[in-house]
Amino acid sequence: MTDPSKSDYARHLADELMAGRLGRREFIRKATLFGLSSSAAAALLVACGGGGNGSPSAATGARRGGTMRVATGTPTAALDPVTMYDSASIATVQQVAEYLIWVNNDLSLRPVLAESWASSNGGQTWTFTLRQGVNFQDGTPFTAKDVVTTFERLVSPNSGSAALSNLKGILSPGNVSSPSPGQVTFQLDRPFVDFPYMVSSTNYNAVILPASYLGAWEKKPVGTGPFTLSSYTTGQRATFSRNQSYWQTGLPYLEGVEIHYFATTQSQVLAMEGGAVDMMQLTFYEGAQPLFSKSGVRILSAKSSLYREFHMRVDAPPFTDKRVRQAVALTLNRDQIKTSLFGGRAQIGDDHAFAPVFPISPSLPLRKQDLQRARSLLHAAGHPNGVNVTLSLEDVGEIPQYAQLIQAMAKPAGIQIKLDVMPQATYYGSGSNQPWLEVPMGIVDWGARAVPSQVILPAYACGGIWNSSHWCDETFTNLARQLDATLDESLRRTIATQMATIQKDATPAVIAYWIEALRATSDRVGGVQADGTGFLDLTRATLS
Amino acid sequence: MIPALVILSMLIFTLAEVLPGDVGRTVLGPYATPGQVAALDRSLGADQPLPLRYGEWLLGFVTGNWGQSLLLRTAVLPLVADRLFNSALLALLALGIVIPLAVGLGSLAGLRRDSAIDRGVSLVGLALTAVPEFVSGSLLLVGFAVSLRWFPVTSQLTPGTGPLGTLDRLVLPALPLVVVLFGYIARMARAGTAEVLETSYFRTAVLKRMPRRRVLFRHVMPNALLPTISVIGSQVGWLVGGLVVVESLFNYPGVGKLMVDSARGHDLPVLEASVLTVAGIYMLSNLAADIVVGAINPRVRNPR
Repeated sequence: MTDPSKSDYARHLADELMAGRLGRREFIRKATLFGLSSSAAAALLVACGGGGNGSPSAATGARRGGTMRVATGTPTAALDPVTMYDSASIATVQQVAEYLIWVNNDLSLRPVLAESWASSNGGQTWTFTLRQGVNFQDGTPFTAKDVVTTFERLVSPNSGSAALSNLKGILSPGNVSSPSPGQVTFQLDRPFVDFPYMVSSTNYNAVILPASYLGAWEKKPVGTGPFTLSSYTTGQRATFSRNQSYWQTGLPYLEGVEIHYFATTQSQVLAMEGGAVDMMQLTFYEGAQPLFSKSGVRILSAKSSLYREFHMRVDAPPFTDKRVRQAVALTLNRDQIKTSLFGGRAQIGDDHAFAPVFPISPSLPLRKQDLQRARSLLHAAGHPNGVNVTLSLEDVGEIPQYAQLIQAMAKPAGIQIKLDVMPQATYYGSGSNQPWLEVPMGIVDWGARAVPSQVILPAYACGGIWNSSHWCDETFTNLARQLDATLDESLRRTIATQMATIQKDATPAVIAYWIEALRATSDRVGGVQADGTGFLDLTRATLS
Repeated sequence: MIPALVILSMLIFTLAEVLPGDVGRTVLGPYATPGQVAALDRSLGADQPLPLRYGEWLLGFVTGNWGQSLLLRTAVLPLVADRLFNSALLALLALGIVIPLAVGLGSLAGLRRDSAIDRGVSLVGLALTAVPEFVSGSLLLVGFAVSLRWFPVTSQLTPGTGPLGTLDRLVLPALPLVVVLFGYIARMARAGTAEVLETSYFRTAVLKRMPRRRVLFRHVMPNALLPTISVIGSQVGWLVGGLVVVESLFNYPGVGKLMVDSARGHDLPVLEASVLTVAGIYMLSNLAADIVVGAINPRVRNPR
């Protein structure tokens, strides 16, 4: 640790840990966020008397060989790292291409193509030192130019990438450069303490591609990853073979991977039961119940920030009065919802956007079902005889069942809900007709995110592009921006508590649960974890 | 036939226009900005006026240039041809099983009216027709693929699968189709046979002391099967293009699912190509059935 700011910061973290103001988990996360390697952080933790963490290392004597067969959904379009968004396309590309940084399930960061990083200028300038001696699978060497081109491509208005929205207000075109060989500098629009997350796997389009990349990835797949794409049959399967010159020596253990694309959950479950595949990329309780009690099948799980936003438009009657919104939230029996939709594999949500998996998540007294209070709130808001509303929702996962539970639970309080179910494509819509952003009451699915900002800013801040509740609270939005620029742990917690309190009081959306990410594998599979974002990392996978 | 196909192609274009969603949004996903989606739509030509797009597509289509899939970025012709071939294979196997079975048992039922066989065939046939393909398919999969492991659970056809391997993968998806069609075809065969048994020419043949087998195959079957042949011809279109449920359940790469996905994703080149080819097959199979009927039945050939 030659960088003085880094060792100062490490000392600061150590102080916080010893004083008990910083938990072990958050210590590791902050340490890795600031560019300490996880082994250095673990060493520091031990030195502070915090005990070992046991980061995964290449297991000696792990069984080599075998071809892993994975069941996933079907890619919605041609494979393209820059524009991909569905889990099957992402899983396919991620075997071949890599990121600067990988986010672990505990939200700590693992250096991949970036070895270390540091910030200056109050968190507004970030410099990454790149790993040397890495080659793309076509033999060309990995250099800083590739990183610069990759990120400039993502934030260019012509890219069509979802990364553009992720990086909006944080990184603008023309601000990525390479001041010296092996180093890349990002000049941000505003201080952003969690910037390393934005160039990590959590920004899933940010795989590093060669500077010479022009498009049509499916025809010429390229990357620095552990497997090469040897064949791709649209809508059916992708076959990979081991990258013999992968930069992590000794890895991967597998000889090959086959990703089988399926149209329905049912056929994936049948394939698992029939032994046609060794694991499923994503498993949801709803639809896969038979696997939960089947011998020879193991269910891996990881807490995540995956959730459903049940919003109410604050500018559409009757939800203009926050008492009505609070009343709706109070009718729900969240434990029952958690059991019936997920078999208990979820964490209760408290109507604020800080998922329990985030270390700074505040623990406010949980909102419990209270029909009496709901009725009196409705009465006070001028609806003594209840309200009639339509709940629009998309037919995805367990959302229709969730809507039915809401309907049944809200009825005794006088809230009569009519359900309007649409296919996902209709609910997202396009152009000037996007129901999920316009309906007075709706339920939409949100992908898991590694950083609270990525959940909060688009959905709950003033001017957020995906703010379906149209809620705008200046104090809340300012606090959110302040959170992004604040380093001090206890101050971050305080801000988070303030924000959660404001959001819970206003209740622009009911957030009743945070879904646990599950993954069904056969007993033969080793070296694989469930992933909070559903990503498929088979670098250390083994098959016995 | 050609005018019908032209009108169909226009209908598809117009319907796809009315369907919500657009191809840009399907490619870029929900987190792309409306500006990005509009830019992609522009570059794919999806924002041009409808008649212009139709004209361009039609010109390409009739000259053999079926274009590129907007979603999958691959040539339409090989994609559709490959899927169509798979669907045809499945349809052939299903017909190969159901026709002998249904015609045989149905005719037997017609010959022995009101016997146990007759009642059995009618009842079973009726019951089976009512069972939807995803129910029978799921039961077959759980029973034969998962529990007994006699057949594979998924029916993907990878390159290098020999004919025996292909057959192995096709049996389970074909069975739900057999289940659905059996009742219909068997009852048509039964009704046709029963009707012929009432005719005077049949009675004459029997009274002439014609050998039983000659009566059956020379006089009864050809006449009894006329309506059955027409019925089979009309089902071929569904067998090739309508098997979305079976294809999804068994993960079979057929053309039905291709059509649904391209409709949902507004992938017009693929949608048009697949719909028109399936419609063409439907029309051809009906034509073939009519020809066979005409070959058997001289009255159709020479109306007098």
